[in-house]
Amino acid sequence: MSDHTHPRLAPLQQATVQYRPDDEVDFVIVGSGAAGGVVAKELSTAGFRVVVLEQGPWRTEADFVHDELKVFRESLLTNDWNVSPNTFRKTAKEKAKQQPCLAYGRGVGGTSVHFSANFWRFKEIDFKEASVKGTIAGTGFTDWPITYQDLEPYYTKVDWEIGVAGAPGPYDPPRSRPYPMPPHPPKSMGVLLEAGAKKMGWKAFPAPMAIASRPYQGRSACVQCGFCLGFGCEVRGKSSSLVTVIPVAVATKKCEIRPNSYVRKIETNDKGRVTGVKYFDAEKKEIFQRAKAVVVCANGAETPRLLLNSKSNLFPQGLANASGLVGTHLMFNGAGNSVGVFEHEVNGYKGIVATRIVWDLYEVDNKLGLVGGGGFDYRFDPTPAQSAGNLPPKSPTWGREFKKLMAHNYNRTVNCFGHTSSLPVPTNTISLDPTVKDAWGIPAIRMTFEDHPQDLKLYKHFAEKGEELLKASGAVQAWQQPVESTNFSVHLLGTCRMGNDPRTSVVDKYNRAHDVKNLFVVDGSSLVTCGRGQPTMTIQALAFRAGENIAKFAKQHDI
Amino acid sequence: MPHLSRRDFLAIAGTGVASVWLTASTDDVIAAARHAQTAQKFEYLTAADAAELEAFAEQIVPTDETPGAREGRVVYFMDKALATFAKDDRDNVAKGIKELRARAAKMQPGAKSFAELPSEKQIAIMKAMEKARHPFFEDARQATITGLLALPEYGGNYNKIGWKWIGFDDRFSWAAPFGWYDRDV
Repeated sequence: MSDHTHPRLAPLQQATVQYRPDDEVDFVIVGSGAAGGVVAKELSTAGFRVVVLEQGPWRTEADFVHDELKVFRESLLTNDWNVSPNTFRKTAKEKAKQQPCLAYGRGVGGTSVHFSANFWRFKEIDFKEASVKGTIAGTGFTDWPITYQDLEPYYTKVDWEIGVAGAPGPYDPPRSRPYPMPPHPPKSMGVLLEAGAKKMGWKAFPAPMAIASRPYQGRSACVQCGFCLGFGCEVRGKSSSLVTVIPVAVATKKCEIRPNSYVRKIETNDKGRVTGVKYFDAEKKEIFQRAKAVVVCANGAETPRLLLNSKSNLFPQGLANASGLVGTHLMFNGAGNSVGVFEHEVNGYKGIVATRIVWDLYEVDNKLGLVGGGGFDYRFDPTPAQSAGNLPPKSPTWGREFKKLMAHNYNRTVNCFGHTSSLPVPTNTISLDPTVKDAWGIPAIRMTFEDHPQDLKLYKHFAEKGEELLKASGAVQAWQQPVESTNFSVHLLGTCRMGNDPRTSVVDKYNRAHDVKNLFVVDGSSLVTCGRGQPTMTIQALAFRAGENIAKFAKQHDI
Repeated sequence: MPHLSRRDFLAIAGTGVASVWLTASTDDVIAAARHAQTAQKFEYLTAADAAELEAFAEQIVPTDETPGAREGRVVYFMDKALATFAKDDRDNVAKGIKELRARAAKMQPGAKSFAELPSEKQIAIMKAMEKARHPFFEDARQATITGLLALPEYGGNYNKIGWKWIGFDDRFSWAAPFGWYDRDV
């Protein structure tokens, strides 16, 4: 143990305990992101011997540069499509074409390293919306097997152990403890949102963010650098699992973090039990790590891919896939966006992504005949080299007038993000591409996705309302972004859904695979519905709950 | 044009980053960039070809009351790119420069270069290439904007001219008030 009194003060990368591959550890956890980090912490602090296999590297503050070319074009922190190709098609009638269609954090901490840290709890309605509002033909729209109340204590754990800054809002679900940190300052964008919301008869309130607004548990407060989304945090202000739960897990001396370890198959025996995992090390050598149980936390695309690739005689359609549902019901959340230009400087590039939020449309008016809903925040999306794409429609794209427009607009532009729910559709899937392989010879991720027609109507409604909101805020110019079915996502949800019935779900309400007693799955794939735009807090709450219960089952010899 | 919503935050091609010019290896880029800041000579381009690209870039972001692509040394960004991480684009760039010269000679018989043409003729040629959707036009337009706004270590954005153009201050550390509207909070 280092001289520091708090594990989070220690250097991010440390020598951890090391287990030999032939040592049957208690748990292998696949993936060290938002979910994997939490499960690693829960299991290792409960006394279990844990190996976390992460396909990417273990980075530190020194790697977190504000270089948009490295981050967005070279995939510094994310999956590199040159070695990990994707294929995409709208429906199963087409042949999928090779093109980037998803992005996730590839490294210790996963996507929580570079996310915007927009962070809130689902509300009570999110868990039971189908029984309240009615199911929708052609979708898998259904209730969760748990309620908000079941998850509330774990949302609270996330608040305090991950570190969330916020203040009570007018539409909050019940909470057992207050926020551990006060909200961040509002920025000009927050002030504008408050003014616009008031005119619309709505109530803006502080956006909950997983970013330290004060020094917290040995970490620095955020310095408002303005490079959150897509970038790692060089001061540990953003509450990624890299700087929160992973150091705590490592400090137990029972948890090994093994980076550059790309799991390609979960092995089983003839009794239908998991025996360990096969993975590629940094030199592409295949290694088999033995384990008594496996927890898969590889994200909503890599997790179903791994299960589908783990076929055996007992599991001919993939591991834990007796239901045939592994990889199905892929959800992204939705968006209806608009843009506004204001008279004076907003300077959106400074500071955290969002400071105020509006939830009056969390459940849209029944008169619209649509299910779901969402919220609005004001943000400023583009880094400098991307800013030319944020000009009004029909603007010049080069020359004297273009130059003037860029100079005027950069600091006066606001992007209104109308974030929404989206439906679980069984034909929207992650599957294995039949021909394209990655640089390790493993079948590539194939995405089959088309937004449900009612969702497209919902997104359009939010784009329209967002434009109205911007004008209510005083925008001198406002316009909607076009709404069309998407072919790219960073929210990867729903593909190993939770449920009580093994015929209609992949994992039970404790995230145990219905078909495999010593296999658990907890990450974005577990979600039954996707909420209104920010799934990470719910993923982490599920991970705390699953981790606690897995530890209990293990101690009761029920694994 | 797509904007950077959180759903498509990586769909950066089309928003100002040249999709074909910037598939790079990090080490290449850093090594090239360090050299770029003091270099006056070109690593890959001939002086004549560089002059053509510079003239093109200068029309994308012209020098007027404030510096433009020329002062921002965008041509050095392009040179470094072609010398290192954008090697695959050398053919397309060569074809594009050839096209510029061909159109220049057609518009002004006897002209040996695009760069020597008066501004209005250069703009007319570029508008025609844009209308015809010549791939070089869009690639070079995006590379100009990217070169001007990326980190100076990539060779362009000299003296932070690009960032000053749009009003971006690279302090990376801020406190309230952030803008005009929260000045009284």
